[in-house]
Amino acid sequence: MTPILAALQVETLKLRKSKLLWAVLAAFTIAPLMGGFFMFVLKNPEFAKTTGLLGAKAQIAGEATWKAYFSMLAQIIAVGGMLIFGFVASWIFGREYTDRTIKDLLALPYHRGILVIAKFLTVLAATTLLSAYVVAFGIFIGWGIGLAGWSAAVWQKGLFVLSITTLLTISLSTPLAFFASWSRGYLAPLGFMVLMVVFSQIIAAIGYGNYFPWSIPALYSGIAGEEYALKVGNALIVLSTSLAGVVATLVWWLYADQY
Amino acid sequence: MDNLIQTEGLTKRYNGFQAVRDLSLCVKKGEIYGFIGLNGSGKTTTIRMLLGMVKPTAGTCFISGEKVNLKNYAIWEKVGYMVETPYAYPELTVKENLHAFRRLRLIADPKVVDEVMDRLKLTPYADKKAKNLSLGNAQRLGIAKALLHKPEILILDEPVNGLDPAGIVEIREFLQELACNEGVAIFISSHLLTEIAKIATKVGIIHEGRLVQEVDAIKLHHLLNQRLVLDMREKKAGLEALASAGFAPFLNKAGFIEIYCKEAIHHPDDVARFLVYQGLAPTKLAVEEEDLESYFLRVIGQKGDRLL
Repeated sequence: MTPILAALQVETLKLRKSKLLWAVLAAFTIAPLMGGFFMFVLKNPEFAKTTGLLGAKAQIAGEATWKAYFSMLAQIIAVGGMLIFGFVASWIFGREYTDRTIKDLLALPYHRGILVIAKFLTVLAATTLLSAYVVAFGIFIGWGIGLAGWSAAVWQKGLFVLSITTLLTISLSTPLAFFASWSRGYLAPLGFMVLMVVFSQIIAAIGYGNYFPWSIPALYSGIAGEEYALKVGNALIVLSTSLAGVVATLVWWLYADQY
Repeated sequence: MDNLIQTEGLTKRYNGFQAVRDLSLCVKKGEIYGFIGLNGSGKTTTIRMLLGMVKPTAGTCFISGEKVNLKNYAIWEKVGYMVETPYAYPELTVKENLHAFRRLRLIADPKVVDEVMDRLKLTPYADKKAKNLSLGNAQRLGIAKALLHKPEILILDEPVNGLDPAGIVEIREFLQELACNEGVAIFISSHLLTEIAKIATKVGIIHEGRLVQEVDAIKLHHLLNQRLVLDMREKKAGLEALASAGFAPFLNKAGFIEIYCKEAIHHPDDVARFLVYQGLAPTKLAVEEEDLESYFLRVIGQKGDRLL
């Protein structure tokens, strides 16, 4: 067995046995249910009138079509995913410090970087699977509601936007791994994550969202109500932030004193 | 190669605090090195430097003659370790924790887990989650993780913490067997000199980051202070008589007469005879040896020379 495979097996076991997986799965299950509910309300205006505030909010999606529904799912992943994926990354790295198991990982007979890479790959796999689950569950609900505007082109476009939004959002979870390692726990990364969500709203509102990595996935998902053309520059901003997160985490694990 | 563990001028300073200074020591195959110090004396920092977790400000550590650094990770194949209180993944059972570390240690044979559980009497707790283990069993699990890959070098930080008296004896005998029969070099830290003195072949005392004494365990008792303790009915007269004979006696807090004069300690019969001739027959006369904890405190300068 190679070190990376061994480390991946152990990371998978830890994740599988943890309560975190089920907690985030439950949290992410609520999102498409809510999206589906909004669509249901839109499809049934009479019901909307009797639901008061919720009915008014459901108007945000505009119309009960597959196009609008895909956009809503993308927004759920862009905003909800930022929190959920961030939490997954914070846990996978931070738990070694809070459970004080980190020291058992620091003197193994292979390069310490392998463990960091295995952890990032686990974050990638777990968050991709979570996104796939949300999309699959969302589509199932969409079918159940009987949304209008079904076509291969809508599907193709919808799934493409969802995939890119997911990748952009997952990419932004790497700095949280660094904050979890640097602060030796969950609190700092969770604080950072909330701060970035707030900043992404403010910066997008004042018109500079194009340049702020944490605003870009949400803008691309269509949260501003208009189609957003993702430029290479925007993608590079997100990817370089992600890379900075990976490098910072590696440097921390390799060179910082581990007390 | 002679020394399996070696440090040369090991020093660590952080945030203006001198945790370890100029520490040099070595441990050979089959040796048990007892590393004694108070809490915060630099034991754990030394162990972390030995394991490459903390970078020394100055000096070097060697494992099997190879310098400890990030690139030299192959050396950890020979090393089993346990740093501070052992922690395991709480949601995994004892068996799962050990299998996880078996994989991380790249051991293909799953039987090693059952073997190490048997050896450390963990088999009845195999399916118990680590978070539900008693401190003693968590300690055993920590030692089991350190032994999974049958290391040539064992570095253990306070390994008997939390164990009951039977467990302490068991682990002590187990470590002795590892060192004597399998030639494992063991570096073991503790704040209990009495406990360490029972298994160590060499003892190093660290205080405020400095190695203040290093001695072969068999020579340790030569360094312990001795005293002659006496009791008699006429203490005042006895003190005067002994003083006039040049024994420099004094009355201790417990109300006994103490003498540290070597002549008296080596010939208590002469003292007894002298007192009887003076008409001050002793009701108690005993040569007592300083205990190891007192010796330890004396060495690190926390108590006076006369403390027993």
